[in-house]
Amino acid sequence: MGSAEDDVTKVIYKFYDALEDLLRARGTAAMDEIWHHTDYATTSHPFGSWARGWTEVKVNWDEGAAVFGVYKGHEHRSDRIGGIHDLKVVVLGDAAYGTGIYRSKLYMSDGELNLSLNCTNIVHRIDGVWKIVHHHADQAQPDWQAAIGRMVQAGSS
Amino acid sequence: MPEGAHSTTNVGSEAGGFRILGSTDGNLRIAAWGYWPADVVSAFNSKAPAATQALVAVGVFVFDCKDLKPQGAEGQDAIRALFRTLARLPFAKGLIVKGNAMTCMQLSRLLRECGAEKRIEFADAEDFGS
Repeated sequence: MGSAEDDVTKVIYKFYDALEDLLRARGTAAMDEIWHHTDYATTSHPFGSWARGWTEVKVNWDEGAAVFGVYKGHEHRSDRIGGIHDLKVVVLGDAAYGTGIYRSKLYMSDGELNLSLNCTNIVHRIDGVWKIVHHHADQAQPDWQAAIGRMVQAGSS
Repeated sequence: MPEGAHSTTNVGSEAGGFRILGSTDGNLRIAAWGYWPADVVSAFNSKAPAATQALVAVGVFVFDCKDLKPQGAEGQDAIRALFRTLARLPFAKGLIVKGNAMTCMQLSRLLRECGAEKRIEFADAEDFGS
């Protein structure tokens, strides 16, 4: 087993792998697995308000998967949609947080759609297991949100 | 009831619920908020589609969702039932009052799934003075 900092770093990278799965229509099982399913779990997305408690948090990820279910821009591409950059982790006992920048690129029918957001993830160690309990991403710029909204309305990317 | 008078149905709590405001002039307004527990979902299933029968061909339907959170599978089914009923009814104008962007995307998806996307459009809360 590595240091707590290494363990937390791995959890946060796994979170973004789970997000990649979700965005590429590979399901939400990995996202469900990476969270502690607690009443104090919280999340906020580039186009959403706060979800508080695991029930709401899960609904938000499920809806994110549904939104991107119509995205086909990466269907025949091997590059990632997005990932976390400049990740810095701080461990404080059984709690830890990571700050970084999430960058993504979507290939829409009318061109590339880029995103770059500051993100914070809080990780909690319960019974020796580190998992996410909080995720926050900045709100995306209005034109990005509008493009995703058009994709949902049209049912295609 | 006098002309244009309203009848109101309130279900739920501050954390999640809905209100149906019917009127005798053929308009219908449903306000929904929060995250719905099972009892609210059940009530919405039984009351909301039935309330649409009050709509007339020149009537306006308003679904005020500015404080609604994205709903789970059962809540989505209840909203689908409403949208499917509306898709078959004649009414002049349908509006969803926007709030949470994730909720808007969920509602937009449900409208499309129910074939109601051409009947109901999104509107800003500011346009309703709310």
